[in-house]
Amino acid sequence: MIKDAFSRTQIDRLGDRLKGGSHTESDLRLLDDYRRSFGEAYETVVRTLRQRGEVPTGRLAKSTVSIAEKLRRESIRLSQMQDIAGCRIVVGNVVEQEQLVASLKADFPGASLIDRRDHPSHGYRAVHVIAEISGKPVEIQVRTSLQHMWANLSEKSSDVLDPTIKYGGGPDEWRNRLGKLSESVAAYEKFEKTHAEAVASNEVIEKSHSKAVSSHEVFEKATAELLEHHLHEHEVEEIRGKLEDSRLRIEGLSKDLVALWNVNADLLTKALSWLEKRKGEKQ
Amino acid sequence: MIFLIEYNRGKGKIVTFRDFDDSQRREAEDSRLGIELDLNRKGRKGIDHEVVLLEAASRDALLRTHGRYFKDLDDLLKSASQQGDGAGVSREPEFGAEAGR
Repeated sequence: MIKDAFSRTQIDRLGDRLKGGSHTESDLRLLDDYRRSFGEAYETVVRTLRQRGEVPTGRLAKSTVSIAEKLRRESIRLSQMQDIAGCRIVVGNVVEQEQLVASLKADFPGASLIDRRDHPSHGYRAVHVIAEISGKPVEIQVRTSLQHMWANLSEKSSDVLDPTIKYGGGPDEWRNRLGKLSESVAAYEKFEKTHAEAVASNEVIEKSHSKAVSSHEVFEKATAELLEHHLHEHEVEEIRGKLEDSRLRIEGLSKDLVALWNVNADLLTKALSWLEKRKGEKQ
Repeated sequence: MIFLIEYNRGKGKIVTFRDFDDSQRREAEDSRLGIELDLNRKGRKGIDHEVVLLEAASRDALLRTHGRYFKDLDDLLKSASQQGDGAGVSREPEFGAEAGR
């Protein structure tokens, strides 16, 4: 039967017994129940990751030996441990890592971030996102393939050569070589990131240039249309001018015609008067 | 799929490997606890063994993210060397000289 809730004191006392190596069989059962209580939160995180197309490997249960060692190594209590349940995603490069971490922050609002790339832990570089679901932390390890390669070497050599290698101990030569390899990976990934940023900037510049060219083409077209329109207006104005000239000329002609008519009428009146007078003289 | 792995750290070898369908999660969890209880009954031997449950799309996916359980140090050094060459990461030619000791 899995317990729904555990008191912090109960869990921390269990942690103390694990730390001291004095745990009993019932302690292992209690720890197992505690692990299983993270199942729902773990499922939520893994389901979200799969829905976004990621292929995480989930760790349903952190081993007892790893929990006990972590309690001995660090000054945290068992109830504060954030990686009881978790998963790991290995991506191709640091650019993909950046993108995925940004997406995870959006998927799990309030998630905390442990970025061990600029400040490595004994050479270990990765990003850990701690999502919290209903009060239960679930750790999502996001590693690049090179960071993962380094972590595998460090962990395996800790297993078979010296358990302290992983935490900065072990033979000097081996530790130094692992340190140099970690630095080389960091330098390469810095270059990789800078290169990607340069490519992105170049794309922005190319896009801007393309937009500028496009804008210029629009401007040119608009200018041509304006010029065309302007010429048309000019033509209209010219026609208007001609029409006005015509109107004035017509008006002038009309005046002339009226004047001529008046002269003619006057002459006609005079002619009629003259004829009337001549007619009277003949009678 | 769910994978149950009992790993002997000192030897760098898998002791127990079982796979379960996703629907057998409870069974996988019970099996994991069973191994741990058994190790505990045998004394301090259990301390050196990691007993973990991992869930992956396939065995290949598991190998990709948790290769440490499956490969020995020489294999990891070789693949690191190839990967480093591909990425342009400087490599130490004699890095693997102490491997396997």
